[in-house]
Amino acid sequence: MIRLSPQMRGAIQRTTLPILVLLSGAIIVLGKADQLLFDSLRTSVTDSVEPVLDALARPLNSVGNVVGRAKLAVTTYQENVRLQAENEKLLQWQQTALSLAADNKELRGLLKAVPDTALSYVTARVIANSGGAFVRMILIDAGSEDHVSRGQAAITGEGLVGRLTEVGNRASRVLLITDLNSRIPVTIESTHAAAVLAGDNSERPRLLYLPAGDAVKVGDRVVTSGEGGVFPPGLPVGVVSATDAVGLRVEPYVELSQLGYVLVADYGLARSLPQPLPPLARPSRRAKSDGDDGAIR
Amino acid sequence: MALKVFSIPALPRVNNGAARLLPVATTLLAAVISVLPLQIPGYAALTPVFTLMAAYHWTIYRPDLLPPVALFGIGLAEDLLAGSPMGVNALLLLLTRVAVLGYRRYFVNRNFAFVWTGFTLLAAAAMLGLWGLHCVIDLSLLDFRNAVIRAALTVAMFPLASFMLGRAQRTVMGAG
Repeated sequence: MIRLSPQMRGAIQRTTLPILVLLSGAIIVLGKADQLLFDSLRTSVTDSVEPVLDALARPLNSVGNVVGRAKLAVTTYQENVRLQAENEKLLQWQQTALSLAADNKELRGLLKAVPDTALSYVTARVIANSGGAFVRMILIDAGSEDHVSRGQAAITGEGLVGRLTEVGNRASRVLLITDLNSRIPVTIESTHAAAVLAGDNSERPRLLYLPAGDAVKVGDRVVTSGEGGVFPPGLPVGVVSATDAVGLRVEPYVELSQLGYVLVADYGLARSLPQPLPPLARPSRRAKSDGDDGAIR
Repeated sequence: MALKVFSIPALPRVNNGAARLLPVATTLLAAVISVLPLQIPGYAALTPVFTLMAAYHWTIYRPDLLPPVALFGIGLAEDLLAGSPMGVNALLLLLTRVAVLGYRRYFVNRNFAFVWTGFTLLAAAAMLGLWGLHCVIDLSLLDFRNAVIRAALTVAMFPLASFMLGRAQRTVMGAG
């Protein structure tokens, strides 16, 4: 240990705190200015903490299951009645769906339509949430080792949960559809109007860029539109729930605060989002390339 | 309650290795706990700020064992885990130390109700500051109600945290 005089030691102790405060402020500014700077640090920290979080999340999951089962035991009779009625309705739908599927296949054959790419799923457990930090995201225990990649959709049986933004080796971060920075291209199923689902950290994200005068009603289903080719189209997102001063709001199908497991949808073709490029200092070559318009001479 | 009248004129030196690490370990544990996915409806948005409770407690009773560097590191770790902008929690914890250290002597020998009141003020200021900071960082007006409820939950959870920390302190460090 370096031997410091008492004055030195006192001086260091007095200045450490202000220096660190300033350093934190600088990091905040830096982190906002350059988004990529801490990404690799974040993914490596997440990867290293993943085993701990995984171990802690398991008992919590079981507790959640037990509570859910207890709730179910209390409402068994009503649940039973409700489920029987729903079952009858669903069996009818099943018949309709089967005949529609057959029709669909025939018509596609007639049109020689391009087949949809197959979906495969990776199941992942939720190991952490955002802890109320003014962001809406979750950590899942699937990483590049489990063949998930950035930009893929995370869903549950009910609907869309979010999009993978950072993928480490063993864990990934999913930006929920309710987050401030989340923008998902969607379609209103009934009218085929294209819009963007924008989160604002509230429970109900908004619909942006709807064509004016479009007859969208409360209760309309909202699904992903698959634009950009990264998200599978037709994933259920939610229902239009209300119109307020800001615009239309969507109530998500998924109960986002009670996620135990998610499925990461692999839309095949390895068409995941590339990492964002850091800004390059590019010499201005615009003027020169004007004459070169690629015309064949 | 665990923290009755403690007379600590000068902080006795703690030689036990585990005891020296207790404040840092518990604050780090608080950071991990705050990101645990409890499947309670609405919990994720309203998680109490456990690291604030730990930082407050240790800065009052053992500021020598939770130095600024440790707070900085734990704050950054919490930012990395929770996905919040880097540096926000570090700044919060460091400013907590700045705020509490100056008034430490008013809290050390007082009963729990007094300590709790002090924490209420700190939590209110902290959530207001956090909300303002996030509004500036995201350049949009965020929901203030959320911040208020979160502050209330943090204050409500403080007695439990304080009790457990005090218990741990007494067990591991003795009467120090």
